Amino acid sequence: MVNYLVKRIGRSLLTLVLILTIVFCLLRLMPVEGYFPNFEKMTPEQIQIGLDEMGLNDPLPVQLVRFFKDLLQGNLGVSRIYRANVLVVDILADKMPLSLKLGSLSMLLSLLVGLPLGALMARYRLRFFDKLGTLFIVCIQAVPAAVYFLFIQLYGTRLLDVGLLFKADDPLYWVLPAISMSLSNIAFYGMWLRRYMVDESNKDYVRLAKAKGISEGDVLFKHVFRNAFVPLAQYIPTAFLNTVIGSIYIESLYSIPGMGGLLVTVIKKHDNTMVQGIVLLYACVGVMGLLLGDLMMVMLDPRISLSGKEGDR
Amino acid sequence: MKKRRLTRFLFTALIASTALCGCAKKSDGNTKTTAVTKTGTPVTYTALYPREVTTLNYLVTSTILDHRIPANCIDTLVEYDLDGKIKEGLAAEWTYDKAALTWTFKLRDAKWVDHTGAAAADVTAHDFVDAMKYALTPEYESASAQNLFGVIANAQEYYNGLVFNGGADDSGKIWAPIDFSEVGVTAVDDHTLTYTLAAEVPYFLSSLVYVIYMPAYGPQLEELGKSFGTGADKMYYNGAFYLAEFAPQEKQIMKKNTLNYDSDHVFIDVLERIYNAEALTLGPEMIRRGEVDYAELTADILDDWNNNEETKKLISRERPKTDYSQFYCFNFDPQFDASYEPANWKKAVNNENFRQALAAGLNRLKSVSVLEPDSPDTYIINSITPIKFTYNEDGKDYTEFNAIAALGDTYDEAGALKFKAIAIEELSAAGVTFPVKVLMPYNPEIPNWDKESQVVEQQMEALLGADFIDIIIEPGPADNFLTEVRRSGKYAFMKSGWAADYADPETWTDPFYQEKGEGGYKPGYKYSFFAKAIEDNTKTAETVTEYFALVDAAKAIKVDTNSRFEAFAEAEAYLINHALAVPYSIQVSLHLANKLDVFEAQYAPFGVSWMRYKGMTVKDHYISMEEYEANRK
Repeated sequence: MVNYLVKRIGRSLLTLVLILTIVFCLLRLMPVEGYFPNFEKMTPEQIQIGLDEMGLNDPLPVQLVRFFKDLLQGNLGVSRIYRANVLVVDILADKMPLSLKLGSLSMLLSLLVGLPLGALMARYRLRFFDKLGTLFIVCIQAVPAAVYFLFIQLYGTRLLDVGLLFKADDPLYWVLPAISMSLSNIAFYGMWLRRYMVDESNKDYVRLAKAKGISEGDVLFKHVFRNAFVPLAQYIPTAFLNTVIGSIYIESLYSIPGMGGLLVTVIKKHDNTMVQGIVLLYACVGVMGLLLGDLMMVMLDPRISLSGKEGDR
Repeated sequence: MKKRRLTRFLFTALIASTALCGCAKKSDGNTKTTAVTKTGTPVTYTALYPREVTTLNYLVTSTILDHRIPANCIDTLVEYDLDGKIKEGLAAEWTYDKAALTWTFKLRDAKWVDHTGAAAADVTAHDFVDAMKYALTPEYESASAQNLFGVIANAQEYYNGLVFNGGADDSGKIWAPIDFSEVGVTAVDDHTLTYTLAAEVPYFLSSLVYVIYMPAYGPQLEELGKSFGTGADKMYYNGAFYLAEFAPQEKQIMKKNTLNYDSDHVFIDVLERIYNAEALTLGPEMIRRGEVDYAELTADILDDWNNNEETKKLISRERPKTDYSQFYCFNFDPQFDASYEPANWKKAVNNENFRQALAAGLNRLKSVSVLEPDSPDTYIINSITPIKFTYNEDGKDYTEFNAIAALGDTYDEAGALKFKAIAIEELSAAGVTFPVKVLMPYNPEIPNWDKESQVVEQQMEALLGADFIDIIIEPGPADNFLTEVRRSGKYAFMKSGWAADYADPETWTDPFYQEKGEGGYKPGYKYSFFAKAIEDNTKTAETVTEYFALVDAAKAIKVDTNSRFEAFAEAEAYLINHALAVPYSIQVSLHLANKLDVFEAQYAPFGVSWMRYKGMTVKDHYISMEEYEANRK
């Protein structure tokens, strides 16, 4: 296991370096206007001084080496446009906690509601509860999320007697954004768990357990559920880490000052140092998510071994 | 066993991180209590805003979006009253020495406060000097520094001396470094400030309300350098308000500065601005619930609101602005995609009869009706300079001067068809193919511009014929529209706008005029690229050269206001009569739900005065249209 972890971490670091190098080079192909918030009103001399200061007139390999050196010291540079002269790490540190908290709450809600939903749908397959669950899933997946987010906000706020805009220090204001964010995941977990549980229910060991007299409930929840959960488990760490990315629409709707939409905003504003910083964050999240997902699968299913080639990703 | 330990460890880490994340509370650094009204409740004005500022550093930014906070938190030497007349600000009195081209200002006592409202230092004349030095330091990349060139003595020499350090610029001119003491701004003592001009500048006093002339606490500038204005705690304030809290894409909280010299005339205790990207959607709903005091009402919901008795009385408008003019530009240097036939357009646009056909064929009343269905004619203008923008010493409006006063409605159906016939004959001989493709982009982020463009397309093609012109409407990028479209020359014929920088008709030549340098014409503000016609020696070269000469002649008149106004009027009339640009409208006042009486605010057709909340009172109801009209009178 230790060897495996060391190899995986090594490969992950290499992946990160590759991603960052490609993004770095691509960003250097962008027009220089993006580095200056008031480009059209600046003199050519001001622009050249600015480019010299940022090191953008240096050869690309020199810039790349300097970037990685700064990175090793924890310096992601300063924002040029989004928040002029503010450290990128400071901007991200301000925004991440809210997105993480909101995302974690919604994830918890998704698991607490989605998993029982899927299990009960499998338990009462083809009966009323299953049909009700299916209706819920179809509605959530068919209706554009923006529509029901807005409905939840407009009517949910009246029901809870809260304002339209988010207040971080009032727990009641977390309810609607968390519910909104969790709905699609509830549908996802419910749908897939039901499917996997139904598949598992047709296997021989289940028939044997029933033949031995174990109640259907016990068979489903003690045996079938655990096996059906394994394929879902690998996505949970990634889903949890992705909460740091935030939700673009929900955060903008409720005025939640999180990470949602930040990458899109800084790309549109051509704030290249911010883009680099956020891409690094996303790459780390992706790589770590995959690694933790694999580990989680191993923990749940002793048959899976990561040491062999088959278990490697 | 090992797996179980690992499992327990990871599970614990997951739970712990979920529990701990978001626990850290942001310190708002504000420990002072808020000033309250006599009743004990702070008077708060709450509004949403959809676009965040890029910086608080008012000495480097020229973006209007970034000016609202300094407009309210930094006092200027002079101010404007409700009717747009200059009055004392930080300067209690001033004199002008014509011979020495020197203005002398006597400052009143004033204090700098920090982001908690606590006194930090005295405001002195040195703060104006230090602020100007900061703006003229190339390292800080001030986008407004150029406003000082040619106005303040040796400002350009100092700046370029730092840049070139004895070397030559592109035109071969040598710029030797000079000491800042040679720049025309001096603190004679703590309360006496002088500005020495590079030349006579008739509008100098009016330009002092612009950000580039704002003071900043010198020692703080020295200490923070580029970090100045990167947070609420990274600057001091001397205005009607101070910035108590600034959390980007979250909120801006300004509080009444009780140490301001004029705090008796500040009737709002807290200005609370909350960021929300969906402000246009949520704002009206929040108005219905009484959660905010201000919201813009878009054309989409206006009819519904007007038809509902409850919401009808919530509607008013913003104050009409005369500092922003909209006009249609012809592009003489098309850089758009080959599929839109730029070469064909270039030949056509250099034919004056073709341009006259388009100018006369544009029914402005119809297109402005999209934004202003009730009274579009009140917004249409026949000149580039808006009415009531500036006056001579006798109070005569600039637009009443002969050449401008003689301009009439550009829309003329019969005239358009007449010009069309001549243009077809001339352009066919020149090898132009018809219909001429007319690329007309719009910014999708500006409400209703798409609908307005559709009306223009349908109306002009119906009148002039789709066999003459083929207007192609295209959405541009929502962000960086100006850079990607207008400044890059990726349009043929397009609505553009300009906001005045100072109270003089010269400001309205800035979009079009291109100064001739040693190495050719300077790019200017990249509107129509007129100089390209001269460089390519097209048929329009002579017309453009004449226009530039008229502007040069007008600029040279510094002292006699009437002669200066006449000369600029002549140049502007020439521009319009030769269809180099098509005047359109002033900015249509937004429909609002607002608890402020907009006519209580300072008013000036330029600068930052219109953004100030000083003097305004928050009503206990939303202003209705009846009240708005009554207040307007």
